[in-house]
Amino acid sequence: MDRVPILSLGDVLLVSIQVDLQDESVVALQEDLAERIVDSGASGVVIDISAVEIVDSFIGRMFATIASLSKVLDAETVVVGMRPAVAITLVELGLSLQGVRTALDLERGLAALRQRRAEREIPLADESDEAVEAPTAAWD
Amino acid sequence: MPEPVDELPITTGDDVVRVRQAVRARAGAAQLSLVDQTKLITAASELARNTLVHGGSGVARVETVERQGRRGVKAVFTDHGPGIADVEKALTDGFTTGSGLGLGLGGSRRLVDEFVLETAVGKGTTVTVIKWTR
Amino acid sequence: MITEQAEQLLELTTPVVELWEGVVAVPLIGTLDSARTQVVMEKLLQTLIDTGSEHAIIDITGVPAVDTEVAQHLLKTVVAARLMGAECTISGIRPQIAQTIVALGIEFGDIPTKATLADALLYALRNSGVEVVRRRRTGAG
Repeated sequence: MDRVPILSLGDVLLVSIQVDLQDESVVALQEDLAERIVDSGASGVVIDISAVEIVDSFIGRMFATIASLSKVLDAETVVVGMRPAVAITLVELGLSLQGVRTALDLERGLAALRQRRAEREIPLADESDEAVEAPTAAWD
Repeated sequence: MPEPVDELPITTGDDVVRVRQAVRARAGAAQLSLVDQTKLITAASELARNTLVHGGSGVARVETVERQGRRGVKAVFTDHGPGIADVEKALTDGFTTGSGLGLGLGGSRRLVDEFVLETAVGKGTTVTVIKWTR
Repeated sequence: MITEQAEQLLELTTPVVELWEGVVAVPLIGTLDSARTQVVMEKLLQTLIDTGSEHAIIDITGVPAVDTEVAQHLLKTVVAARLMGAECTISGIRPQIAQTIVALGIEFGDIPTKATLADALLYALRNSGVEVVRRRRTGAG
């Protein structure tokens, strides 16, 4: 079974799917991502599917699950690089992928995550206020 | 001379991937358009998974076919599992929250040109799909 | 059935044009059939990737009528574009076509539609953060 590698890009996790994924690998990816989001305190996840030729309902559901999972862990997910043939097929299949943000490519995906993060930040009350970092979670 | 049929067992998750690859090879050789190839392979993936998950295990037979000068790819998925009790429900199910049978047969049907479902409770299920070159 | 030659001819007669950076459009002309619409739609989506555009416009000013199948294809294209991370607007819907769509019970829902190609272009530009202004004359010549 291939485990999909997860890379760190600042405070964003990047997953690039290169191979024809078997169902077990899909489940493993969900688990690995959940762990990594918590361990790294990442605020965003980018799933790059520009090399993916087939997205069926199982993989489609994985995107939705990862998006929900990340949200619960205070991170945003964006799926990038969907091929036209894949998009057309997903529409025909009836998979709406609701709740999953998408962007044309990695660059735009990262920009979208940055924008969302900026929108969600609560502005400081006063210029003289000092920003404080929250203590990181320590799971045994 | 008749072309051979690819016969593939479906007993593991890896087998589902092999079915996709076999269908891809046939679809490419038959010169289906990229979008049509994608649709057929995706349908095959759904059906192969059904055979494994709902049927317990089964077999896929993939072959190139011809009718009235047009080439196509035919895939037949057979299992001897529980069969489908409510066919109409299975064909109209959506994927949304994973409720219902979740077989995605309706979606698969939309992806192909011909779709035949044969099933009997307690006996098993056979799904035959064909995608023709446009 | 479409032969390869016919498909090539289709490609030539339905060009996808880049109206602006990030905005592509396909002006459809004449009677649409299901097969032709599909080919054009696939080309439009591919052009989004090739040009790195986030906005597509399908202009049907030159289309006298659409049937259910064609309307469904247009709809599917819009949804597919969204799945890819782009937005797709339909412009130039004639009153008769609007009536047909409603009569057929097709939900055009939250698909952005604009009366003219110009409106659609302005909409796409604004969405990309580009504003079009008319300069005031600074003084008599």
